[in-house]
Amino acid sequence: MQKLKDFLKGFGETFKHQSTEYIEFEERELENVFAIILMGSFIGIPSPPTTLVIRLLPHMTRELYIIQRRAVEMDDILGELAGLFDIT
Amino acid sequence: MREYLLPKEEFRTVFVIGKGGVGKTTTSAALSVALAKKGYRTLIVSLDPAHNLGDVFMVKLTDKPKKLAENLYASELDMEKLIKGYLKHLEKNLKNMYRYLTVINLEKYFEVLSYSPGIEEYATLEAVREILVSGNEWDVIVFDTPPTGLTLRVLALPRISLIWADRLIEIRRKILERRRAIAKIQGEQKFVVGGEEITLAKEEEEDAVMKELKAYRSEVEFVERVITDPDRTSVVAVMNPEMLPLYETERAYESLKKFGIPFNLVVVNKVITLEKDIPELRVKLDAQKKVLSGIEKRFRGIDIIRIPMFAEEPRGLEWLEKLGGSVLEG
Repeated sequence: MQKLKDFLKGFGETFKHQSTEYIEFEERELENVFAIILMGSFIGIPSPPTTLVIRLLPHMTRELYIIQRRAVEMDDILGELAGLFDIT
Repeated sequence: MREYLLPKEEFRTVFVIGKGGVGKTTTSAALSVALAKKGYRTLIVSLDPAHNLGDVFMVKLTDKPKKLAENLYASELDMEKLIKGYLKHLEKNLKNMYRYLTVINLEKYFEVLSYSPGIEEYATLEAVREILVSGNEWDVIVFDTPPTGLTLRVLALPRISLIWADRLIEIRRKILERRRAIAKIQGEQKFVVGGEEITLAKEEEEDAVMKELKAYRSEVEFVERVITDPDRTSVVAVMNPEMLPLYETERAYESLKKFGIPFNLVVVNKVITLEKDIPELRVKLDAQKKVLSGIEKRFRGIDIIRIPMFAEEPRGLEWLEKLGGSVLEG
């Protein structure tokens, strides 16, 4: 009985996860864009007011983490997209 | 009395702008002495990194307002100190938050930051804001500004910063919307970094980034509101009766108009009047005549006053009061 419960729970979790997969991807991308806009001066994009950037920086832990991970996974962006759209 | 130089409902802010060396500092000093004599509690602040306000008053000034006479206070912004103090505070703040992050070498970054383009404008704006926030201590605040270029940048900054803040708020809102949508199905989202678990903020009120963005926006908006309000702000342009200062004043007039900052008075300083003809000065006098006749056409509806070239440098309080009186009274 417990096994069946666990199985159903796992089943549900998968659905739950699948349902937000796209939104999660979108959210990560937006966070990435947000961070890139703020840190643009590192890569030559005109940056927003310096005051604003340095005031926001202390709160940007997650965005910086995302931007870093994004850079690491840069070579497999197609892979991620393919996974997202169930292309195998 | 020129109404636009006097406080109306709240304190009055006067920006004295102009090309380098035309007599901005002397004019603003004179104006503030005259205002103080009339009984208005006046603060004159030099924003120019090449300070010479102290030289006009013949005293040493610091970044704290110093009492020079009844109702008259003066200070000079210490830009280097301002930038240093500002960065130091931030560096401390950042180091605590990012001790586990090695992506960016913060110390190096901060070394560079104090030389980053634009930092002076931002620091100036920040300083102006701080003075305006406690502006109710004064009746009139006179800003002696750096040469036109930098001043126009500083005066344009609030508008530009507002656009940036609005766009960033928009993106942030989208992020938070997504987070809320995810949390509805998956529950609170956690994020682990450096062994610390952080719950992702999803409401605007609890998101630190959004809070900071909004705080910044309202601070900038305050400055923008003050400097575009004709009841609270006036710009006085100082120029010499020569072609180049005229062109520059015209350009300043146009860009201030674009940013909605009230421009009220042109002071033509160092107008030469000679009793007898000196051939060596004839070319200069001809040019002066041309500028003086053209000036009224170009600045329609704006007060123009001429101040003659004096036989001696107008320094010291008495001289300044006389000079300022003619600017204030018309």
